[in-house]
Amino acid sequence: MIRRRGTAIAGALLALLAVAGCGLGPGDDVGSVELTVTRDFGAEPMLQRSVGDVAESDTVMRVLERNAEIETRYGGGFVHSIEGIEAEDRGGPRDWFFYVDGVESPVGAADYPLEGGERIWWDRHDWGATNHIPAVVGSWPAPFTDGYGGRSYPVAVECRGGGDACATVRERLGAAGVEPASGSPPRAIRVLVGPWARLRSDPAAAQIESGVEESGVFAEFEREGSGYRLMGLDPEGDAVRDFGPGAGLVAATRRYEAPPVWVVTGAAAAGVRAAANLLDATGLRDRFAVAVEAGEAIPLPLERGG
Amino acid sequence: MRSPLAYTPRPGPLQAASPGAAVAYLGALVTVAFLYSSPLVLCGAGVAAVLAGRLASATRAVRAAVKLGLLIALPIVVVNALVVDRGATVVARLGEWPLLGPVEVTAEALADGAVFGLRALVAMVAFAVYSACVDPDRVLRALRPLAARSALTAALVSRLVPVAAADAARLRDAARLRGPGAAPVGKAPLARRLLAGSLDRAVDVAATLELRGYSLDHPRIRRATGGFSRPGRGELATRRSRFDRRFYATGATVLLIAIAGELLGADAFRAFPTIEVGLAPATLAVAALIALAGLAPLRRKPRCRSTPVATAPGARPLGAPGA
Repeated sequence: MIRRRGTAIAGALLALLAVAGCGLGPGDDVGSVELTVTRDFGAEPMLQRSVGDVAESDTVMRVLERNAEIETRYGGGFVHSIEGIEAEDRGGPRDWFFYVDGVESPVGAADYPLEGGERIWWDRHDWGATNHIPAVVGSWPAPFTDGYGGRSYPVAVECRGGGDACATVRERLGAAGVEPASGSPPRAIRVLVGPWARLRSDPAAAQIESGVEESGVFAEFEREGSGYRLMGLDPEGDAVRDFGPGAGLVAATRRYEAPPVWVVTGAAAAGVRAAANLLDATGLRDRFAVAVEAGEAIPLPLERGG
Repeated sequence: MRSPLAYTPRPGPLQAASPGAAVAYLGALVTVAFLYSSPLVLCGAGVAAVLAGRLASATRAVRAAVKLGLLIALPIVVVNALVVDRGATVVARLGEWPLLGPVEVTAEALADGAVFGLRALVAMVAFAVYSACVDPDRVLRALRPLAARSALTAALVSRLVPVAAADAARLRDAARLRGPGAAPVGKAPLARRLLAGSLDRAVDVAATLELRGYSLDHPRIRRATGGFSRPGRGELATRRSRFDRRFYATGATVLLIAIAGELLGADAFRAFPTIEVGLAPATLAVAALIALAGLAPLRRKPRCRSTPVATAPGARPLGAPGA
């Protein structure tokens, strides 16, 4: 009698554990992820690979550990070096940061579970100007395709005087398999398209005017007469280049916990059009933000001294 | 019943050696355990400690230490597996836990914990051998010139604690002998009686020490001649053992091998991200040599003499005039 009761309790416990997501082994295969490792804001690629056989128990850290030689600190939760490139304090603090689907993670790599299809980007960069870059454009077409953080989000293109550029943006998103929602649904990943004078009224976009510490975007718009001029910043956050009047900008930022907001903008309409034309994997790959001047894509932040 | 870890006087090199030599020898094995992470070298140090214990006739102490060590090592492995979420090989997913979050047990975290546990086990066995083979009185005597009052306190504690334990055993026996119908005696009354007895004894001891002049400024040591003075150099020298050199040399050799092995990369073990146990010749050599160090307490058989000690009646010893 007692043995039967014990067996029943053990069976119930096992069933409970199974329902709670417990089990033996790494769990089911969830597909593959893209892993990218770069240095200096994407300027120097180190590793680019599609990682298959990702299991449901895998995390960002496990995928990195399996594919690169790494050293960690603080109980394995903090990446100190990847492929021998270490975090350092000399000449400006440099550390390893990671972004999943173009969004800065709110949790550590060891606590970030993967569901398959993510684009993981590790970059070691100088964080003297800011250690908070909430969103980047270098994982295009993420986060538009599958959302981020394990959730899908609607995509809204907000055309604010962008003219032809708005159609270009929709077309590029469509080519990447993204169907923008009509209007501006709540909790959507928004793409603001238009000249800066129109975009700056948006609270998320306005963070760019507050500086890189606020927005994580290494660019500023300075008022000049009735218009604006696009300034490029270096990793220290100093304005080192004044782009011409036809310059454009593609950048991503995020306000609090709201979904990311991309800006496709410029000082004038020509800049907005040029920026919209950058929206593809070639133009944006491994970039934190991109300025475009005279048809040339210029990654941001700029090197020291411009 | 005596604790298996308590010192028992036995004939043997480790027991005969001076405390310093025994500490140097067993301390070297413990140092290796804390210096290395390679499971092979840790096993070598463990084998050495067990071997030393067995050769010093401290088998009971070794067995008790292994049991106790395993009892400590097991929670270390379990806790490490639960709190360390690193490692590429997930062996079990245990769902979400309060405070810990998602818990996934990895083979690497288990191996990492096992190394910590093995280290604790080796240290435990070495300490058990020390405790069972090194006379605490000799340790205290050795410490007396350095810290007389501390040595006196330690001597009193080492004497009075076993007496208190014996008192407790006697009290328990007395309680049991009242018969099965008697009301059970709680722990608190037993502890009160024990405390009262201990305090009485402490007062007696204090009075005795007072009478013997221990309250004077400089604690004195009674010499064999009957006077009070510090022991002479000659007296200290006579306390040295002919086995000291062997244990000092073995301890130093173990440390030298350990340091050389570290420099040659013999400590080849990595738990994360995947388990890598180095099997290089240097690692194997260090593990084997350190395991061999466990033979130091081996008692050598007496050499056969070239001249017979006793001879047949009427026979003359070899070498004697006319032989």
